[in-house]
Amino acid sequence: MGRFILRRTGVLILTALCLTFIVFLLTNLYPNLEKLAKSEGNFRMADHEVATFLSNNGYRSALDPDFLAKVRSGQATDEEIEAGINTGFDARIFRNYGEWLGIVPGYVIEGTDGTTRARCATPGMDIADAPSFCGILQGYWGWSTVFKDEAGSIIGTRLALTGKLMFWVMLLMVPSALIIGVLAGMREGSATDRSLSTVSITTTATPEYVSGVLFIAVFASSAVGLKWFKGTATSAMDNATFENFFLPVLTIALYGMGYIARMTRASMAEVMTAHYVRTARLKGVSFRNIVLKHALRNALIAPFTVIMLQFPWLLNGVVIVETLFNYKGFGWVLVQAAGNNDIELLMGVSVVSVFVVLVTQLISDIGYVYLNPRISVT
Amino acid sequence: MTQRTHANRRHPVAQMYAEEFKAGQIDRREFLARTTALGLTAAAAYTLGGLGAPAQAAGHAQRGGTIRMQSEVRAHKDPRTYDWTQMAYVTHGVIEYLIEYNSDGTFRGMLLEGWEANEDATQFTLKVRQGIKWNNGDDFTAEDVARNIERWCDKAVEGNSMAARMASLVDEATSKARDGAIQVVDSHTVLLTASQPDITLIPGMADYPAAIVHSSYDPTADLSTLVGTGPMKISSNEVGVKAVIEKSGHEWWGDAALEGGGWFIDTLEIIDYGQDPAAWVAAAEAEEVDVFYETVGDFIDIMDGLGWQNSNIATGSTIVIRPNQLAEDGDGNKIYGDKRVRQALAMAVNNDVCLELGYASRGVGADNCHVGPVHPEHDASVGRLPYDPAKAKALMDEAGMGDFEHEVQSIDDDWRKNTTAAVVAQLNDAGIKARHTILPGSTFWNDWTKYAFSSTNWNHRPLGTQVLALAYKSGEAWNEFGFANEEFDTLLAQANSIADADARREVMAKMQAILIDEGVTIQPYWRSLYRHSAPSIVGAEMHIAYLPQAYKWSVAG
Repeated sequence: MGRFILRRTGVLILTALCLTFIVFLLTNLYPNLEKLAKSEGNFRMADHEVATFLSNNGYRSALDPDFLAKVRSGQATDEEIEAGINTGFDARIFRNYGEWLGIVPGYVIEGTDGTTRARCATPGMDIADAPSFCGILQGYWGWSTVFKDEAGSIIGTRLALTGKLMFWVMLLMVPSALIIGVLAGMREGSATDRSLSTVSITTTATPEYVSGVLFIAVFASSAVGLKWFKGTATSAMDNATFENFFLPVLTIALYGMGYIARMTRASMAEVMTAHYVRTARLKGVSFRNIVLKHALRNALIAPFTVIMLQFPWLLNGVVIVETLFNYKGFGWVLVQAAGNNDIELLMGVSVVSVFVVLVTQLISDIGYVYLNPRISVT
Repeated sequence: MTQRTHANRRHPVAQMYAEEFKAGQIDRREFLARTTALGLTAAAAYTLGGLGAPAQAAGHAQRGGTIRMQSEVRAHKDPRTYDWTQMAYVTHGVIEYLIEYNSDGTFRGMLLEGWEANEDATQFTLKVRQGIKWNNGDDFTAEDVARNIERWCDKAVEGNSMAARMASLVDEATSKARDGAIQVVDSHTVLLTASQPDITLIPGMADYPAAIVHSSYDPTADLSTLVGTGPMKISSNEVGVKAVIEKSGHEWWGDAALEGGGWFIDTLEIIDYGQDPAAWVAAAEAEEVDVFYETVGDFIDIMDGLGWQNSNIATGSTIVIRPNQLAEDGDGNKIYGDKRVRQALAMAVNNDVCLELGYASRGVGADNCHVGPVHPEHDASVGRLPYDPAKAKALMDEAGMGDFEHEVQSIDDDWRKNTTAAVVAQLNDAGIKARHTILPGSTFWNDWTKYAFSSTNWNHRPLGTQVLALAYKSGEAWNEFGFANEEFDTLLAQANSIADADARREVMAKMQAILIDEGVTIQPYWRSLYRHSAPSIVGAEMHIAYLPQAYKWSVAG
């Protein structure tokens, strides 16, 4: 078991490295950097100003000083300027990635404007005081260009808020899904089964952006007039109540609930046709006892994996639901970071996502072993 | 215009209460409560009851409470480089302004007690209000004012938009304030010397990037430590989420210096609900916000339906549907060179119809001269050529253009397209042949000044002369009218050297008359801005230029 966990941890780290590098590569494409430079600097920057901004801030290799002098004196033609600026691949990206990881010392660049900038010096910090390494290994997640704050603390706060949302989603989704699944699966083909199956298929076939909008319109707006709940969850960030938090929780929960219920039903139906259940019934065990004592535990093995796999799916769902209900959690940060090409924040978000996906898989694998003695991981 | 309570109209019952109060039948508190409930202002109630006005006339607004406002929350940066008014909403309770621009077009001294201009508007004497302290205990003096104006004049700072507003104080060669342009005369007087007559200098100081910062100001420092003259502090500014502005305990100079005082609320929360107005409505329905930053489009009706207060203000933002006097037809003849043709176009169009069909009546009618009631120097007595389709047709025939088909170009959007369509339809109704050509936004702006007959939108500017100088002066880059009139140019130069709005109005009247008589443009209406606030909120009016004035807001008890 120890070796299995070790092996999975190795895979986790390798996957995280590959994925973050891909995200890093994409966010560091020149058009993205140009957009970043213009929103950080100003929107009227000329091409060579963008290039110097990027090299001064450690995104790209420095421009040739002779070329820059020529451009600034106005002697270069448009074609020359275009040819002189490298907008393609820049080998510096490997160094930048290393800096982000914390295995290469952070840059200290004396810019062409005479200001010295260092990766490890956060705004307001003296460059001399800055540490030489500052990457994910040192616990420094970088600086968010959108929020003007440390990426680590932003991700921390927002993840906690999403955690709160997830907790309530799980609390609502898992028990109700299991109950629906077991009730439907214990008498396959009955009227209960058909009606519950219809409900679960409907909920799982309705995406969050449809059900969320419907819920707001029906339960929260004065258009219908019910106004049972609040159509926004912004105040739930500080003070969650049933009124302001139920709709987002329900929206995410319903989507996953149908899926888990279907899985549980299938598993339950299969167990109910097993030989030992038939034997128990022939021996005169009551239906209630068959379901609760003999079938239930075996039927829950399959849904357990599915429930674990729901965590990554939930990360997916929160992007839509948090935007819809204005709940500023992890999904909202992802949207903001991606929309503004906020490189280090996006990297942090990717790390967390990879971690959540792989850790839940690990837990589901280990849990499976405990639930089903016939399976061995070693 | 913003709706105001009629302070002078006195309710008959109020008089009865006054007599009861004087007879000792009701006590002072009850008298004030009853009369103010009848719509009397506190000041009027005090006078009516024969009471001395309180030392701080804060009677009309209740102190205390929290107002939650829906608005984007953006990252702070150096005020002179602000590019969103929303940034100023967060800081305006701390770092304040020299001068305040109000929705009725007037300017009021804030940190300045007043200002004076010389004869030709080249020298301005700024009188700094005395007795104001920074919230760190320092005195606010003329040195502070001079230092801030110098900061504004620094063109080398990336994104410093104040430098353009202070252009007449800036030395082109050094990109800094000209030597001697800003002089500190004594501890409460600053003398500004402009390189040319410049009446826009004062309006420039009232704009949202013109916040006055302390000498220790550092844009990267924590906002909660921001030093300013205001009574508030910024407890948090979480970008994209929420900003909280609270009373800091620093006494506000305005309570003594301004009539009625201000900063009635204890806390202003600015909550970001993203870009989608549907989310704002959801927040309003959930009672999570009290005031909107701005209400737009169809959401105005929705918010009216929710029973929120509608505050609207007609601005100087407008649309012109104009012929270009230099445009030539295939044979090289100037199509709109004849004044009668242009007059006929203007006379065939009912401006109110354009407002109704083009902008859903969300604005006020205009008089085809691009100067309006929002501008301090506007002369309301100069009106448009009368709407008279029959005479318009006759004029058009007389000019020999009876059979010509006019092509009117517009951008493909909502209101600009609809307004232009309304003009075209009315021309056809009058018997003047016209057709409407809609161009996509990506190509429309390439030649917007050169189309023979087209529509263009123009933004609000505080002074009437500003847009006239940009768009109607001969040879200007943005003169899309092909209008060149020597008399007009002379009058404009004259108006630009008169700092006093009342004196300037005489010149403005002549300019308005020229624009109307020459048929320079059809300018059908002024657009209104809207803001909604919850029924419990007092004074959260929409501002004509979106300027932050939360010191006027209060919560009804």
